[in-house]
Amino acid sequence: MKLVAAIICAAALGAIAPGLADEAFTPDQNGDDVSVLDLQTRKLVATIPVGGKPAGIAMSPDAAFAYVTSTEGKYLSVIDTAERKIVRKIMIPDTPLGVAADPAGTFVYVAGFYDNHLYEIDPREGRIVATLDVGHAPSGIALTPDDKLIVTADREDNQLSIIDAASFTRQRIVKVGEHPFGVTIDAPRHRVYAADVESDDMSVVDYENGELVGTVKVGKRPYAIALAQDLAFVTNQYAGTVSVIDLKTLLPIKTIPVGDYPEGIEASADGKTIYVANWFSNEVFAIDVASLTVTAKMPVGDGPRAFGTFLRQTK
Amino acid sequence: MTGFIGNMSRFGFIAMMIAAPLAVFAHGSSRQKVTESVEINASAETVWKVVGDFHDMSWLPEVITTEGGAKPEFAHRKLVLQGGASISESLTKYDADNMSYSYRIDDVDVKVLPVTNYSSTITVAPIEGNKSKVEWRGAFYRGDPNDNPPPELNDETSIAAVQGLYRKGLDNLKQKVETPTAEATH
Repeated sequence: MKLVAAIICAAALGAIAPGLADEAFTPDQNGDDVSVLDLQTRKLVATIPVGGKPAGIAMSPDAAFAYVTSTEGKYLSVIDTAERKIVRKIMIPDTPLGVAADPAGTFVYVAGFYDNHLYEIDPREGRIVATLDVGHAPSGIALTPDDKLIVTADREDNQLSIIDAASFTRQRIVKVGEHPFGVTIDAPRHRVYAADVESDDMSVVDYENGELVGTVKVGKRPYAIALAQDLAFVTNQYAGTVSVIDLKTLLPIKTIPVGDYPEGIEASADGKTIYVANWFSNEVFAIDVASLTVTAKMPVGDGPRAFGTFLRQTK
Repeated sequence: MTGFIGNMSRFGFIAMMIAAPLAVFAHGSSRQKVTESVEINASAETVWKVVGDFHDMSWLPEVITTEGGAKPEFAHRKLVLQGGASISESLTKYDADNMSYSYRIDDVDVKVLPVTNYSSTITVAPIEGNKSKVEWRGAFYRGDPNDNPPPELNDETSIAAVQGLYRKGLDNLKQKVETPTAEATH
């Protein structure tokens, strides 16, 4: 009897061992840690103390490292995702918020919110290798998958900066809605989408020619945007909803009620599920893209912001 | 704990004008949250009749009048406090079916309430025995969102002030609803 129980137990442990299912890493700003969720079992599997009020996150292309900005501590933590350990802390000379990793796996980019800089960082050497002036209060950062362009949302200037990655120089400035925050790249349409916090809309910009293609009304206080199957999903903090926009028509098709103050949002690699971090209610929701309904609610630490790419593929 | 409870001087009004540019969104500080609740010996419908009017905040102590227009989707209100200070707020969400509304503060002197970028939700829910539970939640940045804030504008002070305000409001609401006769003889 005991032996049987032991075998069942071992099998169960094997099923939830790290490395099998995809995971979510949420920087919990109020709790000063990063929660790790197993997205298959929907369980919290680890809590990594980070400190310094973590908010932004970027996953390395190979998913081996997570880069987390601590806004009050003013540093970038490099987390070994498999080991759940901080392997390096890189001090930033400003309040770091937005962060993105380049698709080549070479550099990490961090936005300095007060000094209006974009920092190019070598995460292995743990140092800033270049600094670029962008607009006021740079927030979200996104890169095109071909590694050619970097886009920053310059919040206080109501604009996006489009930057040539190779030369690390700004190519264009594109005016968008009021106070753009999260930015997301749609490479097949060569577009970048920005969530405009103050004007309650989503700006659509063609990053090749720098034109504002459209503006779509969303809910109150939008924060960030995820893409899946020709749809955009926008978190609306004050509304407590996710707006779903058809990317072919740029028309809203549904509003999905989620938790309180939804912020970070990202699509799973297969495009079937959207994950949303609810800052006030301390949970991550899963939204099924086919049915556009909430299919799971998973508790995490206090104040998950998960601003950036927070999903880790383990296969 | 400080200004909302105290009086507002002429100096305070001038300070408000000077302090206004500070009230920008800032990530140097991190957003705080506060939740307070109270159980009331009255049905949720009865409590919602008192709480659910966005343009009547008289259940909150020290609010003398609530001024405001009537457009439901873009409703604003101005709470005039004892001593002459005021708080300007606007409605962001109104859900009568779930007896809940959300609002944000558009303008307040940090000496009155030491917060910036404040938003809040009040919800009335029925609980067992024909009673109700009122929950008041707030999300906000400290009074001075910049680095190294003075003690009167730091995270701890802002949290304590909002907790104190909610406690005072909810306890007064309970008393007001549960003892209507005392209110009437006032």
